[in-house]
Formats: sequence, C-alpha cells, structure tokens
Amino acid sequence: MKRAISFLLIAIFLLLAGCGTPSAQEQFFTMDTVMSITVNGKGAAEAAAARQEVEGLNALLSRTDGDSLISRLNAHAGDGTAVEVDSDILELLSFAKSISQLLPGCFDITIAPVMDAWGFTGEERHVPDAADLARAMALVDSGKLLLDEEAGTARLAEAGMSVDLGSVAKGYAAARTEEVLREAGVTSALLDLGRNITAVGPKADGAPWRVGVADPADSSRYLCILSLEDATASTSGGYERWFEENGVRYHHIIDPKTGYPASSGLQSVTVVSQNHLLADALSTALFVAGEEEALDFWRSRDDFELVLCTEDGRVLATEGLEAGLEFRGEEQGYDCQMVRR
Amino acid sequence: MTTSLRRLTRCAVLTALALALSVAEGLVPLTILFPLPGLRLGLANLVTVYALCRLSGREALLILVARCLLGNLLGGNLMALAFSLTGGLLALGVMALLLRVSVLSLFGVSIGGAAAHNTGQILAAMAVLGGRAPLVYLPPLLLCSLVTGAVTGGVSMLLVHRVPALGDIKS
Amino acid sequence: MTVRWSAADRRRPTPGDLLVALLVAAAAVALLLGLGQEGGNFLTASVVLDGETIAQYDLAALTGPVTLEVEGAAYPLTIQAEPGRIRIAESSCPGQDCVHTGWASRAGQQIICLPNRLVISLEGRVSNEVDAVTS
Repeated sequence: MKRAISFLLIAIFLLLAGCGTPSAQEQFFTMDTVMSITVNGKGAAEAAAARQEVEGLNALLSRTDGDSLISRLNAHAGDGTAVEVDSDILELLSFAKSISQLLPGCFDITIAPVMDAWGFTGEERHVPDAADLARAMALVDSGKLLLDEEAGTARLAEAGMSVDLGSVAKGYAAARTEEVLREAGVTSALLDLGRNITAVGPKADGAPWRVGVADPADSSRYLCILSLEDATASTSGGYERWFEENGVRYHHIIDPKTGYPASSGLQSVTVVSQNHLLADALSTALFVAGEEEALDFWRSRDDFELVLCTEDGRVLATEGLEAGLEFRGEEQGYDCQMVRR
Repeated sequence: MTTSLRRLTRCAVLTALALALSVAEGLVPLTILFPLPGLRLGLANLVTVYALCRLSGREALLILVARCLLGNLLGGNLMALAFSLTGGLLALGVMALLLRVSVLSLFGVSIGGAAAHNTGQILAAMAVLGGRAPLVYLPPLLLCSLVTGAVTGGVSMLLVHRVPALGDIKS
Repeated sequence: MTVRWSAADRRRPTPGDLLVALLVAAAAVALLLGLGQEGGNFLTASVVLDGETIAQYDLAALTGPVTLEVEGAAYPLTIQAEPGRIRIAESSCPGQDCVHTGWASRAGQQIICLPNRLVISLEGRVSNEVDAVTS
C-alpha cells in the first residue's frame, strides 16, 4: 500500500516537473504585415510578451501612426527642431545610414516620399507623373538625416523629407523579440515576422528549423529548403506587392537611383544571417543591387549568406548554406548552383 | 457510515484523484517527443480501471462523467469536453467488455481502453470539424496507444492489487 | 468486496493481451493503408478574419467548387474553393496583392489580405516538410 502510494506520488511529481505546455503561438497584424510567433516548451505568456514587444516597436517606428516617434521626426522635417530619440532607435537609424554608405544607391530609408508618389503607402497605386517623381526624388538622401548621438536627437534637414523604416523594422523587431524570449528562458522559438523567418535555437527535438524559400513564380513551390538555427532568413522580391498599368507590372521595391521599381535581373533575394537586422536590410539592398554586386558584397564579408533567384531561371546559393540545404528548384525548371568564394 | 454515504465518499475521492491525474498529465511533454494532437499517457484511465475492478460499472461511469465535466470547468472549453467525454465513454465501454474476457490481464484491457479512447477523440474531432481530416492522426495514435496502454496497464495492475477496495477501509 | 473479474486477478500479461495489441496494431496498419489508397492528401483551409475563424474547408474532400462572400470585411471579397485548392477570386481592397497570390494548394501556404486582416492558411499532412516559408 505504502509503496503503491509513493510510486504514484513520485510519478506525479516527475510529470509535474517535466515542463509546461508544449508550444504556444500568437498570430497578429502589425507593421503592415502578418506575424506569428511560436514558442516551444513554454507557456503562452512568453509568446504574448514577444507579441507585445513587436506591437510596442510598431507604435514607435510606424510612419502611418501619427503619434509614433518616426512620425514626429517626419513632421519636424526641415523646421530645425531636433527630435529626442532613445539610444536604441538612434543606433537603428545609424545602422540604416551605414547600409546606404556600404551599398551606395541601393538602399535608403528616406525613400518614403517616392513610395508615396507611387501610392504604395496609400489606397491607389499608380505610376507617378514625371514632375511629381522628380520632386519626390530630390527629397531622398539619408545623408540629410542628421543624428546627434551625444544629445540623443535626430532631425531631417529638408522640409518634405520623410523616413520609412519598412526595410529594417522587421529585422529590428526580430532582434528585440529574441532578446525578450531569451530573457524569459526560451531556448526554442520560430518568429515569422511578415515572412522574414527567425529561428531562435533549434527545434524542440534539437534539429535545425526547416525554412522553405518560396518560388517567386509559384508560391506553392520552393526554390530550396534551408536549415536554420539562431539565424534569420529574410527575402525581398518584386512578386508579392505590385500593380499593373497599361500592361506593365510595377512592384514595390523602388531603386533609390531611378525612383522606379528596381530591375536588376533578380526575382528574389534571400539573406541568411545571425544578425537579424542585417538580414532584413540586406535583402532589400541586394535585390536592388543585382546579382554581380550582391555576390561581390558577399565575398567581401563573412556575416551573411545568400540565395538569389535570377530572371533567367537560375537559383544561386552561397557555400555557407551548403550544410542542410536542399535544392527544390529543378522541378520547376530552375538551374540550381552553389556559389563558392 | 451508511452504505450510500460511503459510496458517495468513495466516488468523490476517486473523482478528485482522476482530476489530479489528468491535470498532472496535461503537463506531460509527450507531444514534444511526438507532435501528435491528442497524444497523452491516459493516467485518468487508471481510475476508470480501478473503479471497474473494485467498484461497479455504474460508479465508474459516474466518476468518469464527473471528471470530464469538472476538468473542463477548471480549464477547458466545450470542444475539449466533447473530446474527453467521447474518448472516455468509449474507453469505459470497451474496458468493461474486455474485463469479461477471461483470457486477458489488465495489460490487454488497458491497451484496448487506450485505443478506444483515441478512436473516440478522433471521432469527436471529425464530428466537430465536420470533415475526415482528423482521421490521419488515428493510425499513429493507435500505435502510441500500445505503449501508453501497456504503461497504464502495468500501473493499474499494481494499483488494483496493492490498494485495497476503498470499501474495506475502516471508516 | 472481492475482485469479480479474472482479468483483474492476473499479475502477468497473457497471450490474450498480445492478441489485443496485435488487433490494435492491425487496425492502425489497415487504416493507414486505406487512407494511403485515397491519396491521403488531407488539406484543410481555414479562413481567419481579424483573429476569428469564419470558415473551414476540407479541400481534399470537396467535390465541387464553393464560393464564400465575405461581406463583413472592411473591403468585401470573394473566396473560391475547389477540390485541392483555394484562392481569393475577387477583392475590393486597394492593393489586390491577395488576388495576385492566386491559387494555394499546398499545406503550409497562406493567402493574406492585409487591408482586411484576413488570412487563409492551409494545413495538411505534407505540412511537416518545412516549418516556415520565407517570401
């Protein structure tokens, strides 16, 4: 009798000590996209905290929310008022400026007036007339986004200028969310922040997360499947947000050099990096840059890897991804190759 | 103590135990090992087996229904209630039948019960979701029930033999 | 009170137990084969509007086309489901990105209409091939 009871008690305690609910998921709309956060081995509280973190960031970084920090910065453009910005956001702005310097003409967070001219931010997308476009283009120059690290302020030098963090906000959110999750003791989670995928740790069973890179021509197919652990895979392409006018297709990634949708010969760029912010920013910048410049830039650094899908039907993956990579593009007629340094 | 009072107490204690077991089991990370919806050890089935062996079918049924209702009152929803009731009732019925088969031991009874429980859950899921999609999960769940049924079978053997019938305890 | 069933008396597994186990295993295998013969591509599409599931289709079991008019959305839209696939056929939303996405037919795929906060997600047996998709 005693033994049976102690056996039962031991069994119950072992089970209680096991761990919490197997996984919790939050899906929500913010930063002009859909996000979902899956946390393994912990309760719903951690996933909810992660969601709160992202929504809090959106309230700071959104350009459409009139009360946000970025809206305030934009509202004071050209009037000489320096807007107080906390050190984290100041760092984010200075990171975005540094990408513009590293890849001149490929990336600019002050492209917002041109996006507005195309109607990508509002209701009606359309090809802008030449005068409107020229006026907007004159306002694009992140060199005129002046940051004062000592005073903790930022300001835009010219009236009409405007900052849009759409190309870095999701990466920044991924980094901050990972921090929140890690502090809560989470060791396994998957963040899908508008199809920028961030793997926190491995899966619950210890294997890396498997992330498909979508085929630009058919969203039900993959170019390849990546194995991801503690890294972000961020993709930019012209195949998701676009409109047609007079039979011509215009997508939403604007080349800061021309003011027109980038046409660099690439259908999509996927950047994989342990630096979530870098992955997000580079996917946009290298999509604008094109195959050659993108691969040159990859050869000059060692902190990210690439999957490129070209318009002439090639899929190129850089050698750092080789372990755990499965090409799937052959079935759809792509020519799949590994790129070596 | 009068017999009816004794019966009531007996059922109440067993219901509480079944509740505790199913809460404890909710914390088992079995689904981490095998990501199968509905996979659990089925510890609360122990109480059903015990009640069937030591008490009566009627009391076992009473305990089961009370456990499901209370358990989902504590932290569940209507859908979960439908799942656990269908599974539990089917398991109870099958085990009551299997107990009458003289060539079996509690191992066989428990395995049959676990398989019936999973089948009931999937049937309920199919009814609620209005499609046959959940059926995919049944074959792997049945295979898992061989293991979980054997485990609970072993434990219930211990339980039935080592714990005297509650009625024998001096009040 | 005495134990009434001989099964409860035994302290060892019997050959009968093995038979029960075999029967359960056989049922599992038979079911698996039966499902496999049907092609077994279970595919469920859930339509979620602003966090609330408004419709669910078992695409593999559909026999003919079904349309769903979502009048309650900010920009009313029409969803079309057919055996094995689903799409947003028409939408009054400004960008039309959801219509451009076209048919979705694979587990794990999503069709998103951002202005409407509407997500159609597909789940099924093949979904364990990848954990997420970047696009």
